[in-house]
Amino acid sequence: MNLKSLFRHEMLLAILLAIVLVILSFQSDKFFTVSNLLNQGRLMTETGLIAIAMTFIIATGGIDLSVGSILGLTAILTGVFWQNVGLPLPLAAAAAIAVGTFAGFVNGIIITRFRVPPLIATLATLALYRGLAEGISQARSVRGYPEWFYVLGQGNVLGVPTQLWLLLIAAVVASIILGYTRWGRTVYAIGNNEVAARFSGLSVERTKVALYTASGFAAAVAAVIFVSRVSTTRSDMGTGIELDAITAVVLGGTSIFGGRGTIAGTIIGLCLIQALKNGLSLAGVKGDGTIMLIGAVLILAILVSNLFERSGTR
Amino acid sequence: MAMTDLDIPPVRPSRAVQRPGAIQRLMSDYGQEIVVLLAIVALFAFVTMINPRFISANNLTTIFAGNAYIAVAAIGMSMVIITGNIDVSVGALIGVLATISGTLAVAGYPVWVAWFAPVLIGMAINGLIGVLVAYARIPSIVVTLGALSILRGGLISATGGTWISDLPPAFMVAQKKLFGLPVPLVAMVVLTLLAAAWMRYSAFGRSLYALGGNPEAAVATGIPAERRIVAVFIIHGFFAGLATILFATQLQVIQSTVPPNLELTIITAAVIGGVSILGGSGTVIGSTLAAILFATIGSALIFTNVSAYWLRAVIGLLILATVLADMFRRSRRI
Amino acid sequence: MGKVLLSAILALSFSTSLSQAQSAWTGGDDLPTNPLACDATAPTPTAKPYDGGVPTNAPDRKGKTITVVDVPKLVGIGYFNATSKGIADAAKEMGTMNAKTDGPSKANIDDQITLIDNYITSGVDGILFAANDPVAIAPVLKKALAAGINVVGYDANSTPDARQWFVNQAEFNGIAKSMVDAMAAEVGEEGSFAIVTSTFTTPNQARWISEMAAYQAKCHPKMKWLETVEAQEDNILSFNQANTLINKYGDELKGIFGMTSVATPAAADAVTQANKCGSVAVVGLATPNAMKPYVSSGCVKSVVLWNPVDLGYAAAYVMRAVADGDLKGGATSVKAGKLGELSVINGSEILLGAPFVFTKDNINDFDF
Repeated sequence: MNLKSLFRHEMLLAILLAIVLVILSFQSDKFFTVSNLLNQGRLMTETGLIAIAMTFIIATGGIDLSVGSILGLTAILTGVFWQNVGLPLPLAAAAAIAVGTFAGFVNGIIITRFRVPPLIATLATLALYRGLAEGISQARSVRGYPEWFYVLGQGNVLGVPTQLWLLLIAAVVASIILGYTRWGRTVYAIGNNEVAARFSGLSVERTKVALYTASGFAAAVAAVIFVSRVSTTRSDMGTGIELDAITAVVLGGTSIFGGRGTIAGTIIGLCLIQALKNGLSLAGVKGDGTIMLIGAVLILAILVSNLFERSGTR
Repeated sequence: MAMTDLDIPPVRPSRAVQRPGAIQRLMSDYGQEIVVLLAIVALFAFVTMINPRFISANNLTTIFAGNAYIAVAAIGMSMVIITGNIDVSVGALIGVLATISGTLAVAGYPVWVAWFAPVLIGMAINGLIGVLVAYARIPSIVVTLGALSILRGGLISATGGTWISDLPPAFMVAQKKLFGLPVPLVAMVVLTLLAAAWMRYSAFGRSLYALGGNPEAAVATGIPAERRIVAVFIIHGFFAGLATILFATQLQVIQSTVPPNLELTIITAAVIGGVSILGGSGTVIGSTLAAILFATIGSALIFTNVSAYWLRAVIGLLILATVLADMFRRSRRI
Repeated sequence: MGKVLLSAILALSFSTSLSQAQSAWTGGDDLPTNPLACDATAPTPTAKPYDGGVPTNAPDRKGKTITVVDVPKLVGIGYFNATSKGIADAAKEMGTMNAKTDGPSKANIDDQITLIDNYITSGVDGILFAANDPVAIAPVLKKALAAGINVVGYDANSTPDARQWFVNQAEFNGIAKSMVDAMAAEVGEEGSFAIVTSTFTTPNQARWISEMAAYQAKCHPKMKWLETVEAQEDNILSFNQANTLINKYGDELKGIFGMTSVATPAAADAVTQANKCGSVAVVGLATPNAMKPYVSSGCVKSVVLWNPVDLGYAAAYVMRAVADGDLKGGATSVKAGKLGELSVINGSEILLGAPFVFTKDNINDFDF
């Protein structure tokens, strides 16, 4: 695969994003303002972190449906560790993130060691982790965090929402790893042909376990940000976020069959969805109209990109 | 669990002694189905010991008929998955079709129109999805993720969520009995057996396995891959339509919203039933058994007084155990 | 494999041991309860200072046409259709309010927050909301107040300081009393009953269950609570759960409480189809249209609810009064169009009225 074909979809998508931004700014003068755009960045951070990790997984031809449940479990544990166990809040959050990361590691083990297909494995843990969150929480919310904790989810650093810095750092680091390291090439190699990757001496199993662990970590970090943003914990937090993340990733040009995809694409996909949600709402379109349009954009974007690709390569 | 050693070769050496024969063949053909069936039987035995009312006729009806619509929808889903595709929009589709069906019934159309309209519309919508997957070559998860949004948003903007009541009594087919058995149960069994036989013995059915197992080889042997994919999605729409009839006629009101997580339940039933998500294997008998297993678990947890707070954790654990048992069985068989 | 199984067994035993330790009345919250008196004596209202929030630098909106957005828990269910209709009716009547309803398609805290955030940016004059979570919604509502937007809640409250007023459809303990009294009247003082609810995390339902437990212990001490089951907002699941309860307890089960407008008709259908009408009572919260078949067949005798159309209507009038500056902290009542004067309770709440019990005689007078 050459770099050209890799960036074809991302280019198309970036042009589409630019067009959408222009149209939406004409629809509402409130849309293209610094404060609104930064605020949208705040709202998309949790999905964004998960989508970045999901890009790696989908690029290997896998999938992780359990991220929303890991988010819920980590959120609940943050509250329980802090209030019921009595740990200091930073330690409680770290411990909860550790458990969320371990949940991702368990996914990886089930997938590699027991050779359960990722979709089935994470479908099962989707139910399991959500169930654990519900059982541990006993339907109780933990509230009343100290003020400083809200800086993460509601505050600003240098005028930019705190969590947006995290998303930016994660995006840059992930782009470098996926695009320029041996590790990133291993990801594509697994996605293109897992058997061949194994025979060429790449540590397929180890890479996969690491990826699912990283996905658990991303979901866990997103959970703490989410708790800080909404100032409470609920066991149903993050329900359905896996579909939002997957939508962003595939819209961003990552092939669901693996072997292709970039972090840049995922980020553009993410921004496109968020811009549509926000801009249409500002322009007076109701929520149900917006989700219909996002569905249509998803199908059309991949359709158009497929058409271009075929006319280019054949 | 302390499993830090990740360099274990993925293919395990055989430990089981190969005993050829009828049982062996049955196990290899229907292994996962048998695992699920054993799980159902074990649950029944265990819960009945605690509370014999578990196997009362009424509770058996609740268990076997209650999830019939999931089982019927899972038949089509299994076929889609066997060809290596997936459909995450089926829950939204059933919600849309139920609303159409109920609206027609209330508007005074003959009940058979209200029954068959969802089937035809389901086939049309999924036919379109199939065309996008097969001819436009968009991965099915992308098309159906898009379709999920479109159907869900469309349903809300079309109905605004008004419930449909005052349904004519003749419409309520799921509440009727056939040969003394509830219609959903009869429909589930008959459709499952017909679909299973058709998948196993017809050339069309077998070609689906070929498509899912090895698409290139299948095309090389002359199977028209694109047309088969479209056909499978249309058949899936047909079963989704039938599932809708059972779903919409169960109660005297139709809630014109998408049932929460229905698509996930249907997909889970299909994969737990032994349909490999990578395509190429599995039967629809397994998916029906899995739908029954879910209903059995749901009922069993109430009967055994498992804390309702832990209910979903236990369901998740049982699903994981079933999957691992299947993998364990396969690794022994190699 | 063995290790996985072992951990599975451990988790299972863990869960069962916890289930043993479970107190009765699963599904309630842990907030303090305040059961009403067993007879009909009205509680003496305790005066409480205004504890709502105040918008910063709100422009003078007196008499001006205001743009209001209504963000319910979710769109696409009958109940919030009815509140939305009430808001639209009131807006039309007043002629000085542009109201529209826009909510998430699932009862999801994040989608609701995002929607409200967008409307703050687009610059509405007022926000009406029904919170999916009282605390989670608070930051975004405070942001609205800080932007000078008038914020009024209805149906499901937020923390008081995050909004100006809350239109309370009926007090939790009032609903609890109506429900438990209706059940006791049907199943007798020693009857056993079970509950079908949506999820244990739904704040209103959890609150009602807690208040019902407290009221039952106080006024109907011999009634027996069997268990609470979850059924999401899914009518077929509610139906299956109700059936399973009937099958499990047999003749011991005398009544089922439906805690949501989804669960109650489904439970009534389960009782009807099991031919248990008359021997298993169904009492619950539900909208009349969904309950008409069961009430007119005599299978369900009492449905408890307030009028959601009136609730939306009152919320719109409260919004108008707040925007005009007519309703301020310390007020004791507010005028709400055809509903007349509504009284202020709990500092910053406006009470719609006592809960309404629909019966065979009056249910056909309602259409929502």
